[in-house]
Amino acid sequence: MVKEMNKPSLAEDKYAPMLSPWRVKSKIAIIFFIVLFFLFFSSTRTGVDFGTLLSGLSNMGQITDKLLPPNWGIVGPAMERLIETIHMAIIATTFAVLVVIPVSLLAAQNINSNKIVYNITRFIMNILRTIPDIVLAVIFVGLFGIGVFGGIVALFVFSLGILAKLISETIESIDMEPVEAMRASGASTIQAIAFAVVPQVLPQFSSFSLYVFEINVRASVVIGLVGAGGIGNLMMTRFGFNDYNSVFTIIIIIFVVVVLIEYISGKIREAIV
Amino acid sequence: MSMELPPKKPRSTKKLVRNVAIILAVAALYVWTFASIQIDFARVIERAQSNFDRVIPKLFSPNWDRAGEVIDMMIETIFIAYVGSLAAAIIAVPLGFLAAKNMTGSRIFSTLGVWILSAVRAFPEIILAILFIVAVGPTPFAGILAIAIGSTGMLGKLYAESLEAIDMNVVEAMQANGANRIQVMFHGIIPQVIPEFLSYAIYRFEIDVRASTVLGYVGAGGIGTMIFFAQSSRNWSDMGMILLVIIIVVTIFDYASSYIRRRII
Amino acid sequence: MIEFKDVSLVYPNGTQGLKDVNITIEDGEFVVIVGLSGAGKSTLIRSINRLVSPTSGELIVDNDNILKYRGRKLRKLRTKIGMIFQNYNLVRRSSVFKNVLAGRLGHTGTLRSVFNFFSKDDKALAYESLKRVNIEDKLYSRADELSGGQQQRVSIARVLTQKPKYILADEPVASLDPPTSHQVMKYLKKINQEDGITTIVNLHFIDMAMEYADRIIGMRAGEVVFDGPASEVTEKTFEEIYGRSIRDEDFVGGAEEDQDDSVKGAEEDGEGNE
Ligand SMILES: Nc1ncnc2c1ncn2[C@@H]1O[C@H](COP(=O)(O)OP(=O)(O)OP(=O)(O)O)[C@@H](O)[C@H]1O
Ligand SMILES: [Mg+2]
Repeated sequence: MVKEMNKPSLAEDKYAPMLSPWRVKSKIAIIFFIVLFFLFFSSTRTGVDFGTLLSGLSNMGQITDKLLPPNWGIVGPAMERLIETIHMAIIATTFAVLVVIPVSLLAAQNINSNKIVYNITRFIMNILRTIPDIVLAVIFVGLFGIGVFGGIVALFVFSLGILAKLISETIESIDMEPVEAMRASGASTIQAIAFAVVPQVLPQFSSFSLYVFEINVRASVVIGLVGAGGIGNLMMTRFGFNDYNSVFTIIIIIFVVVVLIEYISGKIREAIV
Repeated sequence: MSMELPPKKPRSTKKLVRNVAIILAVAALYVWTFASIQIDFARVIERAQSNFDRVIPKLFSPNWDRAGEVIDMMIETIFIAYVGSLAAAIIAVPLGFLAAKNMTGSRIFSTLGVWILSAVRAFPEIILAILFIVAVGPTPFAGILAIAIGSTGMLGKLYAESLEAIDMNVVEAMQANGANRIQVMFHGIIPQVIPEFLSYAIYRFEIDVRASTVLGYVGAGGIGTMIFFAQSSRNWSDMGMILLVIIIVVTIFDYASSYIRRRII
Repeated sequence: MIEFKDVSLVYPNGTQGLKDVNITIEDGEFVVIVGLSGAGKSTLIRSINRLVSPTSGELIVDNDNILKYRGRKLRKLRTKIGMIFQNYNLVRRSSVFKNVLAGRLGHTGTLRSVFNFFSKDDKALAYESLKRVNIEDKLYSRADELSGGQQQRVSIARVLTQKPKYILADEPVASLDPPTSHQVMKYLKKINQEDGITTIVNLHFIDMAMEYADRIIGMRAGEVVFDGPASEVTEKTFEEIYGRSIRDEDFVGGAEEDQDDSVKGAEEDGEGNE
């Protein structure tokens, strides 16, 4: 039935409804040239042109020579440090999840009627989100010394920014009618939040917390590279010694564990929401 | 008062057992974590006291003498992100088609596509950068490859999702009309997904700008190189300058990207 | 007793919500406020528990001008005024029981309530309230599993649990079908009579207003244009209040003749609809 109806019109227009008129075509052409223009600049600046690309890709063959065989001897120490990495992620996520509760309430327009506090909170959280995890780790390791503590603080700050955005947006999207009913019956702000806001955001809150845990596991691997403890630290040491076989083994381990954790966490999140 | 209390909530033992199991598991996880994490608080406090004045005030008084150099390296960073994202935006197209359930007509291919894409996504960019440095040496090229491959994972997945959401009636109508595969592709499918593909690519470029700021730390080009040197020489006012530039540039790219994406869709 | 003395309200955008309102509502009355959409019915009712704040005049509740209330005093005022909303305003993901217990929040310390430590008396009262609107069997259902009429009954139970002196109901039946609407109105009327709770209801259906009200207040453009016992009200009065002739849509219909056992009868009707 649908086909019958579409047939004649499509035949008439020779697929015209989907084909772009010249204005759209010229737009595409302009975009295309802009893209090429920037590509030209980028390639001169980074020194990457078609030649390097080809030779680079042909070099890629040697990579296996350098990486293989895996150094299975590193597995033991690597696992130990990996557990440290996961512990860092757990602790940082836990504190971020606790601290984000008041922060996200302050960053939600429908809960916090104080415009100044609201905007300041938003501003700080927006800035936090622009700072890469590694930079935070460099700073906090510089402050607290090499080791897990600086790493945990860096992860905490890093995930707080992400979580605050996700949760405050969730709070802003809730149904405010029950909140009004609570206020109208003489409940205090905290009571209204506990009874009317919390039940509405709890599923997303748990899901986002697990999501941020996943992010923190990856990030805690990465920040180890700058001296913040965990498996990243070990990897950077081996990398410094050009011990690529160990580096590769560590990467495999990280890969397996990251995939595993994301799989489990994803399943739990599906069950929650 | 002589009023009647409500009946107790009926509890199924299955649920009770499940809840107890969850609580025990979570408790065990935390006991394990806090028992085995090794933090020497005395040292941390001692360090923080002695380092605070050396780090924090300097961080907030950026070294403007290095501004030119920092901005120059930031431009290199943006170029790395640009080339990497562009490459990813293109490589991800065939992979997206492969992974979309309604495109290949073969479950094996789409499962394979999904697997490849999620495998790629599991690697943080900087680890990919380390791999590519081993392969092609410590150059921006390694950074570009890391960004390209890392972004392909996410873009391919997003592309596949928007392909799965297209209006298949148009496609079927064209097939019934005798259009060949290429015609269907270019007149039936691509026009439907172009805005979304473009929007995702720009979104990913925004993420890549942020991601490529750190690649230099392991030698893959861009401003990360300066982070490494500032850390090694404990030059915190240089670090302040780097931080400032990163915050400003990333913020600008965030706003520009969301502005353009709103216009596209 | 509630007294409006020259109460006016201008919204921040310049809309005149109320204009020189002067009315006195005695304890135990069942007052229905009628008027076209935008007449200021909600504004009037919401002034009483200060969900909106009149900009001039005096609003006296129990011999005290409430317009100067803030903070704790305002919350104290609100605990003795229950409110029922058009959209029931239940927490949809919470159980019926938890929703009804929320009526006690104003009487319970913040810390206790946040950790869900309600006294035995509170719990018994919540259960009793549910029984009074015949919905105690849904005690542990989630609120969003209930029909509209059932949800409105839960919200009545929430208000009962609050043990208020006044009940404000803003279009309590506007989202319900005619039989369910009558059922809800009958519960409100019954509570008004049995507990002597002063009840003020906004309605826009003529037949409903005439059937349940002791007294009718008519509003137009923020002003009170009619105030008198329901027995004196005719369709002509409504034409004057509305400033236009009466139409079919001004009637809800579906009134039940059978007056005894009315609530029980409506109950069965209601269940049949679900
Ligand atoms: N928060 C507000 N800000 C500005 N103007 C408002 C606000 N709330 C109501 N108004 C205006 O005040 C007037 C009275 O509104 P009110 O809600 O009291 O009317 P109502 O009689 O309850 O109407 P309805 O039957 O549609 O609920 C209307 O003109 C309305 O647009
Ligand atoms: Mg109204």
